[in-house]
Amino acid sequence: MYPYKQIIDRARNGRTAVYPKASDSSRLSIMGAKITGEFKRFPTMEDILIVPPLFTPQRLEKSIDLLVREPVFFDVELAGKLGGFHVSMPLVQSSMGSPDVWNLLAPYAAKACALEGIIYGIGENVAATWGYETRKVKSQPCLKERILAYFENFHGKGGVVIQQNEEDAQSELWNRLYSDPDLTQFFEDGFIAFEIKGGQGAKAGMGGERYIDRKTALELKDTYYIHPDPEMVEQERYERHSAPDIFTEEILRNRIIKMKNDYPNAKIWLKVGPYRDLARVLEIAGDTGVDCLSIDGKEGGTGMSPSVAMSHVGLPILACIALISEQKKKYPRTDVIISGRMMSGADLVKAMALGMNGIAMGRPFLISGYSFRFAERYLASELYRKKLIAKIAMKIRKPNEQSVQLIRNFVETIRIEAQLLTAGLGKYDLKKLSKEDLATVSEQIATMLDIPSIYSQKEMFVKPLIVA
Amino acid sequence: MQQNINSNSLESYLEQFTTDIATITSQPVFQEIYEIYDLISQSMRTYLVSQGFLEFKPPLIGPVTDPGTRGAKQVAIDYYGKEYKFMSSGILYKQLLSISRKMAGKEGKIFFFADNLRLEPLETANTDRHLAEFIQVDLEIVDADHHQAMDVAEGLVSYLHQEMKKYEAKLKPIWEFFEPLSSQRGLRKRESLPEIVGAFKRYTHAEAVDLLQTYIGENPDVVKEIQQRFGVKASRLSPKSEIPWEYEWLLSHIHDEPFFIYDYPKGARGFYDRESPQQPGILMDFDLIFPHGYGEAISGAAREFEVSKVIPRMKESGESLQKYRWYLEFLKKHGQPTAGFGIGLERAVRYFCGLPSIFLALPYPRVPGVFSA
Repeated sequence: MYPYKQIIDRARNGRTAVYPKASDSSRLSIMGAKITGEFKRFPTMEDILIVPPLFTPQRLEKSIDLLVREPVFFDVELAGKLGGFHVSMPLVQSSMGSPDVWNLLAPYAAKACALEGIIYGIGENVAATWGYETRKVKSQPCLKERILAYFENFHGKGGVVIQQNEEDAQSELWNRLYSDPDLTQFFEDGFIAFEIKGGQGAKAGMGGERYIDRKTALELKDTYYIHPDPEMVEQERYERHSAPDIFTEEILRNRIIKMKNDYPNAKIWLKVGPYRDLARVLEIAGDTGVDCLSIDGKEGGTGMSPSVAMSHVGLPILACIALISEQKKKYPRTDVIISGRMMSGADLVKAMALGMNGIAMGRPFLISGYSFRFAERYLASELYRKKLIAKIAMKIRKPNEQSVQLIRNFVETIRIEAQLLTAGLGKYDLKKLSKEDLATVSEQIATMLDIPSIYSQKEMFVKPLIVA
Repeated sequence: MQQNINSNSLESYLEQFTTDIATITSQPVFQEIYEIYDLISQSMRTYLVSQGFLEFKPPLIGPVTDPGTRGAKQVAIDYYGKEYKFMSSGILYKQLLSISRKMAGKEGKIFFFADNLRLEPLETANTDRHLAEFIQVDLEIVDADHHQAMDVAEGLVSYLHQEMKKYEAKLKPIWEFFEPLSSQRGLRKRESLPEIVGAFKRYTHAEAVDLLQTYIGENPDVVKEIQQRFGVKASRLSPKSEIPWEYEWLLSHIHDEPFFIYDYPKGARGFYDRESPQQPGILMDFDLIFPHGYGEAISGAAREFEVSKVIPRMKESGESLQKYRWYLEFLKKHGQPTAGFGIGLERAVRYFCGLPSIFLALPYPRVPGVFSA
């Protein structure tokens, strides 16, 4: 089960959610650390611990800098560069596409991300489904509303990342954006990236699946694979399938080169699922000068995926990190971010310490934006996994300006936690984190990621000077 | 020439094209340009017909047109409920027609006077040689490669020079009228048209980049000048990619005669430009560049014609295969080698008339992002 309650709590309560509430007896944390958990099939970020030392020379350095006081957590620097943009924090709102629930919220999320100075992603099929600059459906925002909501609230930190899939390519989405006079300045100033989509974590290797109604099925029958054929069979609901894009090493390499030629002012991002050939993907991305490689682990969220894919397909994010760690050192100019069940400041700190350049997340933004009162009860129901629940939540109340605050609250908790944890490690810049700050409960992970295992006799974090 | 216009900048000319077209187009200097436009069109037709080319009327719309390059957007229309595209270039149809001529036992040489529509990115408004709507004289030859297509281009452009030489007396006043603006826009002052004797220079892309790098080495100040002129921040010159506009201008500026650049690295061009079987990563394509700063006139190439080559190339461009259904089916059944090129008619007019910017060649210019009548 996805821990939606934690997200709602963060969105509603903002920075106070960073700490346990005395009144809330359901929180195990009030009695100390949670040491048992639900059954997991494979290790996740939770199997890694953050291990602070007593001796913290960087804290001393920082206090010399500050001169008049000891450094505290809010002295930790989170800002930097990511994927060609200046950001306030290396947290990215994943590229989320056309599902109606998300689409309603998307412009508010854009505003929240812009105000927070973080990168905002736009997934595939948005213009095709909801319109480019005029609404196809009165109640549903179109693509440019998302983009302009971001830039109207932009303060110089962050950026917008936009995907184009095969169906978008039919209407040449990127060319349209690139030649749109409203956006020329933002391209010239380097605030927009185009993101090639090479799959996602929840359905690695597979295409896109959705249910659509009859009217939409008839409209889309030439663009997608619709089952059954709406002209032959009349029913309420149809399956809409889109084919996975085709890549070979040569195709990927040349597509990137072509994009750099065609869109010299756009940053180039590449999003991929948790594939076994990730190391090669990073090599090609690095060689061709991709600004950011975004890897979605099998833990990643989805609008709709076959259950069999979520259970049996793809690599968990820790395995992805291990797969690319050698190549990562060779290509310092290509940033790598990870996604898939990222939801706290601890995830950000761990990712940075493991050598990643940031994290992306999607579901927390969706849940936060809908975290009005009473939403929780619906989110708790079994319906959650089919995203229907969010539809119900939507009926309770449509996203509005309050959603902006809910999402900003959530983002603030990530910021504070990341600062608390980093300061706890005696470091005052997120970029100073390294593997020395981590340990794991599993010897396998220790070997794989080259970090200490806390129960291993052989491994010592810091050896004493005098050994008896 | 008596003129009732008083324009000292391109912006004010453009302004007049958006406010009072009748006044501006009725000026003698513009009427002279329109006459040259017609003469150039006629000369092109005469030459191509004399070389055995058959003219076809190009399609205006189709289910697919060749993909825009460098970020240009196509224009879609609603065709009885289906999306059709206005032609951004008729390459796919040229291939079809030249091959069908050959299949019928005729000479597979065809040409179009093709109206093309490309919503170019706004950054192209500064190049002085991009229009959203323009005419391209587009030809295709069966059983030819890019070198043979270059031979035809050379013949055509030499012929145009020879014909226009006859009209130098008519051209001179136009040159003089626009000279102050032309030199501001980086075009060399012209006393007469170049005398074409013999073949045009042909540089490979790698040689052209070398030539530029050598020139920059000897004239380091030029880098700053072109960056200022084109408003670019850093040098974008690389042997692995297309020659950026600002460097193409430089190359053009330092030449006295038209010249070719061929064998570009794969990357920027469409999927239909054939990749060299002998040199993977190199395309069998070419540009013809006008001298004196006027820049690119012609783009051409040998075409990919095997589906096993075309499909991966389409995927490299992120294209949808479904969209190209008729074309892929045609290639599978009838694909065979062809080569061809397109010459921008307004670019030729600009060059021969010595115009500071291409939009001056047309009575109702479509400058990217400018709303004229």
